[in-house]
Amino acid sequence: MHRIISSFVSRPAALVHVFLFVAAIGVFAQADSPRPSSQTGARELVDEMGRSVRVPVSPTRIISLAPSITETIYALGLQDHLVGDTDFCDYPAAAQRKPKVGGIINPNLEEIAALRPDLVLVTKNINRLDTVRALDTLGIPTYSSSAPHTVSEIISSTQKLADVLGAPEAGKSLGQEMEGQLAALQTKLADVPPRRVLFIVWTEPLMSAGKNTFIADALRKAGGVSIVEASQDWPKMSLEEVVHLQPDYLVFAASHSESATRDFEALATRPGWRLLDAVRNRHFAVISDAVNRPGPRIVSAIEELARQLHPEVFQDSPSPERVSPPANAASFVSPHAAFSSLSPSYCSGSVESSCVH
Amino acid sequence: MSSLLRTPLPSSEQPRAAADVRLSVEQASYAYSSNPSQAPLFTLEALSFHAKPGEIVAILGPNACGKSTLLKLISGALEPLSGRIFLNGFVTHSLPPRTRAQRIALVQQESRLLFPSRVWEFVLQGRHPYGSGLRFETEDDVTIATNALTQVGANHLSDRWMDKISGGEKQRVILARALAQQPLLLLLDEPTLHLDIGAQVDLLHNLRRLAAENRYTVVVVTHELNLAGEYADQVVLLQKGKCLRVGPPATVFQRELLEQVFQAPLSVEMTASGRPRVTLFSNT
Amino acid sequence: MRPLTLGRLLFRCGILAVILFVVVVIALKMGAVQVSLYGLGRDLIRVLLGQSSAISTDYGMIVRDIRLPRILLGIVVGASLSVAGASFQALLRNPLADPYVLGVSSGAAVGAIAALIIESHLALSPELAGLITPLGAFIGAGLTIAAVYFLGRRDGQIDSSTLLLGGIITASFLSAIIMFLMNTLSGSNLRGTVFWLMGDLSTPQPRSLLFLLSFGFLAAAGAIYTTASDLNLLLAGEKEAMHLGVDVPRVRIVVYLAASILTGLAVSVGGTIGYVGLLVPHVMRLIFGADHRMLLPAAALGGAIAIVIADTLARTVVAPSELPVGAMTAMAGAPLFIYLLRRRIT
Repeated sequence: MHRIISSFVSRPAALVHVFLFVAAIGVFAQADSPRPSSQTGARELVDEMGRSVRVPVSPTRIISLAPSITETIYALGLQDHLVGDTDFCDYPAAAQRKPKVGGIINPNLEEIAALRPDLVLVTKNINRLDTVRALDTLGIPTYSSSAPHTVSEIISSTQKLADVLGAPEAGKSLGQEMEGQLAALQTKLADVPPRRVLFIVWTEPLMSAGKNTFIADALRKAGGVSIVEASQDWPKMSLEEVVHLQPDYLVFAASHSESATRDFEALATRPGWRLLDAVRNRHFAVISDAVNRPGPRIVSAIEELARQLHPEVFQDSPSPERVSPPANAASFVSPHAAFSSLSPSYCSGSVESSCVH
Repeated sequence: MSSLLRTPLPSSEQPRAAADVRLSVEQASYAYSSNPSQAPLFTLEALSFHAKPGEIVAILGPNACGKSTLLKLISGALEPLSGRIFLNGFVTHSLPPRTRAQRIALVQQESRLLFPSRVWEFVLQGRHPYGSGLRFETEDDVTIATNALTQVGANHLSDRWMDKISGGEKQRVILARALAQQPLLLLLDEPTLHLDIGAQVDLLHNLRRLAAENRYTVVVVTHELNLAGEYADQVVLLQKGKCLRVGPPATVFQRELLEQVFQAPLSVEMTASGRPRVTLFSNT
Repeated sequence: MRPLTLGRLLFRCGILAVILFVVVVIALKMGAVQVSLYGLGRDLIRVLLGQSSAISTDYGMIVRDIRLPRILLGIVVGASLSVAGASFQALLRNPLADPYVLGVSSGAAVGAIAALIIESHLALSPELAGLITPLGAFIGAGLTIAAVYFLGRRDGQIDSSTLLLGGIITASFLSAIIMFLMNTLSGSNLRGTVFWLMGDLSTPQPRSLLFLLSFGFLAAAGAIYTTASDLNLLLAGEKEAMHLGVDVPRVRIVVYLAASILTGLAVSVGGTIGYVGLLVPHVMRLIFGADHRMLLPAAALGGAIAIVIADTLARTVVAPSELPVGAMTAMAGAPLFIYLLRRRIT
């Protein structure tokens, strides 16, 4: 027995590992690193995941790990406090020039730490819990918004975020503006029967958005109703089933309408798709991919869609007047801004409509 | 060679057989069946024989007569269904694997190596039963292994790769590994199968010399009549799992008996040295 | 005739350890944030002397709290996978065996995904939530180890070919379950799972887990090492090994359990990092020969070196983004495998 132990101890790999191990113990036994100090005092909050977070009263070095949060920050006029965002934060254009910390699910912790943030913002629906835990371990305050399931939740989440960031008035006015636009839209669509739509996330395989997503809610607010009954977030649909249900319209989300129109043409030639009335009648709608982000532009995207699904309701009304947003905010909520890369000669596909800007 | 480091037997059991008998097979039998509830597919009926130090025993018979099974029983790999097998008074099957490997060495026909190794590494494996747990080979181990190679005349092969030597050379190296185990009992399973005639004679000749010099007891399984007749001190004749006769070759090699076992016409003559020689005739 | 001696073993391992140390120092230096070698050395010494408060905060935090733990994690994971791979190659007498061939990693993946699903329905404190995924993975691995063990038995003992078959079938079955489960996941859970499946060391683990991992590695690898001489003989064949005094059933069980535990531990925290467990043993065999008394420590050190290099590349090549470390090992491993194949190493 002692021979085994002595041969064990003399084993060099064990020795090396023990050395490294002891070094590591020495490292870990040190006190926690001191946290970055904030400009003003801090308060204890409970975030939308139920976590208790210590947040500075007015954070001045914010990192956003979700594109929707980045857009919200710009809409609230707080972009000067944004010191870093993800590779995918591309709207508004100015956000692309902010320092990048990596991807959404794999942000680079070193980059984040090097920017010395006093608050990092994440959302439950696209960020990983592991990232939140890692930031906790490093002592960096992290606030998480929940995953919204309806457009109202998006609005309330935006207002809560504004409170956390120390700009409650901006939040309230933004929220009111969004709700106002929605209400106006509801009035217009009040007497119009909703169109049955299929929102297409991906064509091969055919994937759509589930009924509990905010996208489904956005479709409803736009005067459409999704034919998808699945409670999964991104269900894979069977083409047969879709043909059986014969939606009135197919809805695509794209950053450029020309490519979307080309994609639709390509799709229309594929076997099986021609069985859809919506394909034969060219009843398709293309809206900004802002609809995929639970952020301020969702309302414009909804209005975009409504104009294409129910053009008759909008024929004699131009884009409505806006309450002017905060001076340094990007003009966010107008439908023009939502689809800024759109070519003006875009048309919806249905025969009887006129072209709409 | 035999004076080097032979470890004493454990004294927990009292030896039972007569003083100069080393291997004692007493009414050992065995049966194979594919599952316990069915009738056995093959049975080795109870048989007995004894062997002394320095003796060569040949287990002789046609294919599928139970030769290999008997060898496995003797090696302790299988437990006999009835009866027992003693080595110097200790039941072979009950010995722990390490102790058994210090007493019994098995020479197989082939050795498939997953990753190639050198001849000296291979022979050194024979020293494995003499270490415990994690060990490195000692000077003595190296000496014993070198001597084993010398004894089979394969010293010049020491640095060669195992997969690059000929069949005959490989056979000698495998034998050297067995000798490095410093066994009391040396078992060989059809060692002449892949050898040409010259090599066959060489091998048996070596075995006889080694058995005499080092007092090994050698048990060889074979179906080569004349090799058994020429070199064995005792022959165990098997047919279809039954032992038909045990004894010196002169008594076992009776024409009618051999013809019945091997199903071929033959004749038996005695040579000047008192050994039988068998001549096979064609079936005309 | 020059058999392996303790001196030669220590010397060779010493060289490997020095290489590992150099690699670790370089890895500490590299990253999204620049660190000078002098500053690094000075701060490491400060840390060891207990004066870590003297280190400037953010820079110290980066090296001490992010990079160093990640490198240490990589060392343990790399060493575990390589030793497990070498052990399975000996146990199954198959040069193509790797730590995942018996399904342990698939079981760990199922466990981790199940833990993710369960976690979203429970309200756990962050510390507990952090441990749930590795715990789930380890439980999944353990159950798979037990299942494959019972599948792999014949006449009451482990039989190598039956074990291999049982393991492969179990792995396929579990992979199908993983695909099914992934279908029910959504959003960040799904993407996180995909990332994990590719092999990822970027998540800092709680200290307790790191201690447990290191201890588990030492215990399991140590157990396998005590059978190193036996494994040398097992390579020739189980019957031959038995006749040379190896207690084959005991060796099989010890090696199977210990190597599976090593795999389970590594996969629980790092996901399925590929190629390391398969190739590092072969490369070490090329250099040092097939004697397991040398091969096992060499594989451990070699695996540590390989993973630290791969992980460092993974987090610097496309900075500020990161690649999963499994992608790096695959990119380097596949050409290396082809090269070894052409050298007829198997």
